[in-house]
Amino acid sequence: MKRFNHEGHTAHQFDVELNDVKHKVMNMGGLVESMVHNGLEALMNMDAELGKQVSDDDRRANQFELDIDEDCTRILARRQPAASDLRLVLTIIKTISDLERIGDEAEKLGRISVKLANEVDVPTYYKELRHLGDHVKTMLRESLDAFTRMDVEAAFSTAAKDEAIDQEYATFSRLLISHMMENPRHVSHALDMSWCARSLERIADHSCNICEYVIYLVEGKDIRHANLDDMRKKLL
Amino acid sequence: MNDSSTEADTEKLVSMNIDQDIPHEQTVEEIVASLGDTVGQTRVDNPKMSCTDVNVFYADKQAIFGVDLDIADNEVISMIGPSGCGKSTLLRCLNRMNDTIPICKVTGDLTLDGENIYGKNTDPVLLRARVGMVFQKPNPFPKSIYENVAYGPRLHGLSRNKADLDDIVVTSLKKAGIYNEVKDRLDQPGTGLSGGQQQRLCIARTIACSPEVILMDEPCSALDPIATAKIEELIDELRENYSIAIVTHSMQQAARVSQRTAYFHLGKLVEVGGTDDIFTNPKHELTENYITGRFG
Amino acid sequence: MNDQRNTTEIVQASIKRRYAKEKRFRLYGLIAIISSLAFLAMLITTITIRGLPAFTQNFIQLDITLDQKTLGLGDEPDISALRKANYNGTIKNSLLAEFPDVTKRKDKKLLYKLVSKGGQYDLQKKVMADPELIGESMTVWLPVGDDVHTYLKGDVDITLPEKKRRFKDIQVGWIDSLQENGQIAKRFNKTFFESGDSREPELAGIRGALFGSMLTLVVTLALSFPVAVAAALYLEEFAPKNRWTDLIEVNINNLAAVPSIVFGLLGLAVFINFFHLPRSAPLVGGLVLSLMTLPTIIISSRAALKSVPPSIRDAALGLGASNLQVVFHHVLPLAMPGILTGTIIGMAQALGETAPLLMIGMVAFIVDVPTAITDPATVLPVQIFQWADLPEKGFVEKTSAAIMVLLAFLIVMNALAVYLRKKFERKW
Repeated sequence: MKRFNHEGHTAHQFDVELNDVKHKVMNMGGLVESMVHNGLEALMNMDAELGKQVSDDDRRANQFELDIDEDCTRILARRQPAASDLRLVLTIIKTISDLERIGDEAEKLGRISVKLANEVDVPTYYKELRHLGDHVKTMLRESLDAFTRMDVEAAFSTAAKDEAIDQEYATFSRLLISHMMENPRHVSHALDMSWCARSLERIADHSCNICEYVIYLVEGKDIRHANLDDMRKKLL
Repeated sequence: MNDSSTEADTEKLVSMNIDQDIPHEQTVEEIVASLGDTVGQTRVDNPKMSCTDVNVFYADKQAIFGVDLDIADNEVISMIGPSGCGKSTLLRCLNRMNDTIPICKVTGDLTLDGENIYGKNTDPVLLRARVGMVFQKPNPFPKSIYENVAYGPRLHGLSRNKADLDDIVVTSLKKAGIYNEVKDRLDQPGTGLSGGQQQRLCIARTIACSPEVILMDEPCSALDPIATAKIEELIDELRENYSIAIVTHSMQQAARVSQRTAYFHLGKLVEVGGTDDIFTNPKHELTENYITGRFG
Repeated sequence: MNDQRNTTEIVQASIKRRYAKEKRFRLYGLIAIISSLAFLAMLITTITIRGLPAFTQNFIQLDITLDQKTLGLGDEPDISALRKANYNGTIKNSLLAEFPDVTKRKDKKLLYKLVSKGGQYDLQKKVMADPELIGESMTVWLPVGDDVHTYLKGDVDITLPEKKRRFKDIQVGWIDSLQENGQIAKRFNKTFFESGDSREPELAGIRGALFGSMLTLVVTLALSFPVAVAAALYLEEFAPKNRWTDLIEVNINNLAAVPSIVFGLLGLAVFINFFHLPRSAPLVGGLVLSLMTLPTIIISSRAALKSVPPSIRDAALGLGASNLQVVFHHVLPLAMPGILTGTIIGMAQALGETAPLLMIGMVAFIVDVPTAITDPATVLPVQIFQWADLPEKGFVEKTSAAIMVLLAFLIVMNALAVYLRKKFERKW
């Protein structure tokens, strides 16, 4: 397996700049992770306060995206990175746009939780969502870990989890449909739940993307839209 | 298992080479031996020139170690690497400019269109007419612009009469993209032009001999960015008719002008491949380190 | 911050000293230049003051009757009779006619000395050009004698008692009366440039030595330039670098430092005693001086060849020029200014050389102006050396005049060199 290291440049300042932007990405990842966690908690506990906080956090996440984008532009213009450095900068640019979307999805969770908190007579079946949410949270954390450690092995195994989550989403969707047929009064709630599940599924997709970027970063091979298993056999 | 152990060794050796504070210093031969085989495709389908197991010695010191490399028809191949890596030496072997150094010895096969250029039947003078060279410093002769370009054709008797020669001069200057700038002052000294113009004049002078291959030894190292851009544009146009090998210290330049890139280290060809691959995803760690500016 | 202030203080403390040092050094340089210029000016002034009178000559106007009796000619004189005729007699007669009251034998002798011995040759020339003049009377200007010239120049101290000087009171009286009558005139001294050496200072000229120098230099240049350039080219461009070429290089450098008289001995032994070439000839002089200047030209040519930028060689080689073409199309033309400078320095050295020429007999007294490289000849510095040795007062100014001619020759040569340099010089 390839060792990945973005330090040791003759121009030491370049190391500092790359480290700096990488740390910012990690901070942004942490923020987004907590947003997802809080959004889910707010939903589960009908906590409007927490839901509102997620919305506020989303603004911070957006600011992070702008900052990091600017940093990357500056590095591209001034350092003209090549090879692994170039891939690192590209990966960061793509990763933050995925992180920002994850933030948006988390914000949706928060918004719906605020809406639900103000209503009465909320059915309890939405608790089923927690299962899906936990899986998505795990996947997001693992993909961020893979990015931090530049760990291809972990990226592959994390990316592979996307399929299981898709299935879980499908199961939950079927559950919602049956609920709606049983209880037409709850259609409006069920649709909200469907949105939430949809958001969580999107978060998993974005996490999967991040894993793919990590693999591209380390191996120099773009594995998007390819068969994961084949690629894995080829690379590892 | 076996693979990973040798790679780890390489890594260790290389890091020892970089960190000078290790007391035991390795000989060049030991380091070269540890570099392993050249990574990437050294051969092409349509080779114009080809080197096989080329070694170059300056007296007892070996400067090039067993290089295999093809230069394809109508391609620009760039040779990069840290100072003293042998890229210029190899370039000068390709038109036997090293013949002028008495202590320089070349072994191995170097061919032009399948013909050994160090063979008994090959005349270096004829070879240099077929394989032209552009040098690091613009070096026009202290003569008029016209005379500069006309010198080669006159030397080899390429023109039958004055009109013929005029034609060659004008065509060459046009091909080198400098005709419009100098057409009114062909009789003025070539040394009076700006650096970039001088270098394009030197390229015109080389083209005037109608070579098949053009070797360029850091042609832009003495030029400003605008002049460099003009030369690079010119190199791209020349590719249609010539094979071009260019040695450069500017990796960005190699990335911009060439189709293939060869990375040399301590006289060894470490990696060769498409420029796109080399600059986004080099295979060898040394190439990676060099391209990303980690040493050299 | 603190450190910075310290640095400033330290620098300021020493800065005055540093500037003073620089000023002092400039002053030394200026003094050196001024003193050398002063010496040069002194040299040139003394030489000019001493030598200038040699470029003018005083003439006496005399009415001369070319009667057949005095000339000792028959009715139908042939050429040889005309040549041998007693022109001196007519001059003496005319002088006696001018000063009829001179009767004493001793005074007559002094009177005759007013006119130079060269006067008779002037008359001879006139008569031989036109024999019809015989029997006629005419007014001619004749050159004054050596002593008169010295007197007219003001070099005779008439306050001295008469016995202590060559120029007597009676002669002073004659000259004064002639001057009153306007019979003495100062003219440009053509003789100095038109004749060869002579025992009489007023007749001695520089032409023989000048031509001797030119011929010698032509031989030297023709031999040393091609040989030296070829040697330098071979050593610099073609010869392998090994122990033999190193040895040759060391020897060439040593040869440049060999005293020139040694070359004279060599010339005597080889060219004259062995090859039996004519003695005192510019040919042998040129050969000897070539040997002497060869190392100088070779060394400067090699330096000039070395200084041609290698990029020009690369360019020509890269276009497919052969070694010889590279050298003759590019390297040699670019090195030419340097080679020419070296050559001119060598030639100037050869022009001023005396010692080796003494050994091969170019020091002989030669009256005729040489016309070929095998004619006996002398050269300017040897001529100066000879004249400086002669006792007559008139030769003092001749010596200085000859030095002026030598310097003028040198300046012309250098001017030519500068012109050639400018013509060949190209920038790269």
